[in-house]
Amino acid sequence: MAEYKLDCLHEVCPIPLLKALKSLEKMEIGDILIMHTDHNCSIANVVEWTKKQGHYIDYIEIAEGEWEIYIEKAR
Amino acid sequence: MASSRIEELKRQKKMEVSKKRNQIPYAILLTIAVLIIYLIITKYQITFGNYWVIGILLGITIQRSRFCFVASVRDPIMVGSTSLLKAILLAFIISTIGFFIIQYNAIASNPDIRIQEIPGQFSPVGIHTAIGAVLFGIGMVMAGGCVSGTLTRLGEGYAINLVVLVGFIIGSILGTKHFSFWDKLLISNAEAIYIPEYLGLFPTLILQLALLCVLYYIAHWYDKKSNIMASTM
Repeated sequence: MAEYKLDCLHEVCPIPLLKALKSLEKMEIGDILIMHTDHNCSIANVVEWTKKQGHYIDYIEIAEGEWEIYIEKAR
Repeated sequence: MASSRIEELKRQKKMEVSKKRNQIPYAILLTIAVLIIYLIITKYQITFGNYWVIGILLGITIQRSRFCFVASVRDPIMVGSTSLLKAILLAFIISTIGFFIIQYNAIASNPDIRIQEIPGQFSPVGIHTAIGAVLFGIGMVMAGGCVSGTLTRLGEGYAINLVVLVGFIIGSILGTKHFSFWDKLLISNAEAIYIPEYLGLFPTLILQLALLCVLYYIAHWYDKKSNIMASTM
């Protein structure tokens, strides 16, 4: 039940998604990944990809143009 | 879809984050500025105002929908997601119908119209199209944005795209400078092909729509299929 942080500030599409993909591979089921990003495309493509993979996901805007994405590995 | 632990994390964060600044006054100021510019430029020429309004509406659409030509061709290969590719295909379908109406009206009102006078862009197609597409494709994937994407993100305040914009300007200038070379070498030998000239306008419309629909269904099927592949990974 560990928590992992992923700093994706100033990373251009598709680097945030690739980083999330790599971290999720290493994580155990039930672990949570917290992504910090300022790229609004990540909201679209990371959320879409994660939902398709069947993980839990939600996000929150923590400042103007900055988001935190929470992913819980479900399987 | 969110688990209870994600909800908990979100609630914690929401309390830490200070209340956001109200952006409504900026929006009102910007709208007034847009209207003033519209009034000023329509004085010079009425079409400038139309371009201004269409440009702004396009910008809003691209920004809000995160419409991205790069992701539309990259994501199917990289992560097996075709939602943006399907959006592009839908855009093609809509513009096909729109251009059909425009060209049909142009031909109906003047049956002796020359092909060069029909509304639309008729450019020669040939090996230079492929060379240009490969160069542009490499560039846009590396830069993380095509022209519209770069401009949209720059407008959002994403400063990395400033670098891309500089590269884009340099590339455009070099392209303009070397255009006569390419024109002499390849473009002038190629021919502009207008399919309705051979098939008729209406059959071409049906053919193009059918082709786009088939591509749409392939994209849809690929999206579903790649999902199954990923779950067995």
